[in-house]
Amino acid sequence: MEKKKLCLALYTGSVDKLTAAGVILSGAAADDMSVDIYVLLQAARAFRKDIGDDSDKLQMAENPNMKAEFLQSLKNLKVKTWVEFFKEAKEITDVKIHICGLAGKVWGGEKLDDFINIADDICGIGAYITSAQEADVNLFI
Amino acid sequence: MILEDIKNISVTKSVDARGTACPGPLLEAKKAIGTIKPGDIMEVLSADEGTKVDIPKWCTKQGHEYIGTVEESGYFRIFLKKK
Repeated sequence: MEKKKLCLALYTGSVDKLTAAGVILSGAAADDMSVDIYVLLQAARAFRKDIGDDSDKLQMAENPNMKAEFLQSLKNLKVKTWVEFFKEAKEITDVKIHICGLAGKVWGGEKLDDFINIADDICGIGAYITSAQEADVNLFI
Repeated sequence: MILEDIKNISVTKSVDARGTACPGPLLEAKKAIGTIKPGDIMEVLSADEGTKVDIPKWCTKQGHEYIGTVEESGYFRIFLKKK
């Protein structure tokens, strides 16, 4: 049976939405979906090697004044960090992470090596559109 | 199968995911299913309400046979047979 495909346009660089993306990726991994993630503007900052899941360097998209409580609650529930979710999904199913070339440059990243090691390549927007056209499920986070 | 029968099923693998919240138990089940043979029975222990819904649906999609769920004190035992 051909795998269903999820195409995720990941725009957010906020810790709460990245965590939500990680939870959704876990569901896709459990279902053996093939996943393409396109890392767009704000998200590319979070993918920088010096940021990743360092929550001190990430903002909240909503309830910014409750960041400490949010992170503590995730910790109490033994929820993985967003990077751990992404890594685990890659271990389980076919997940490819593409950094948008423009987004990388905005945050000073020119080469794949400038980003955390779960990124697979740097690409243009045409690749995203093609993947989105082929996907069974499309998400923008 | 009645509840008493399900409770007494002998399982090949027991996955204790009680320490994790959603999506932990589903992913633990996904990882563990790869370690058993077709026809083997696995149980997933979870304290997360969502798992009760997730695992049967996951079984349907993946072709595994969902056998049933037994509610214990503070957690669930969810039984399935690998396709």
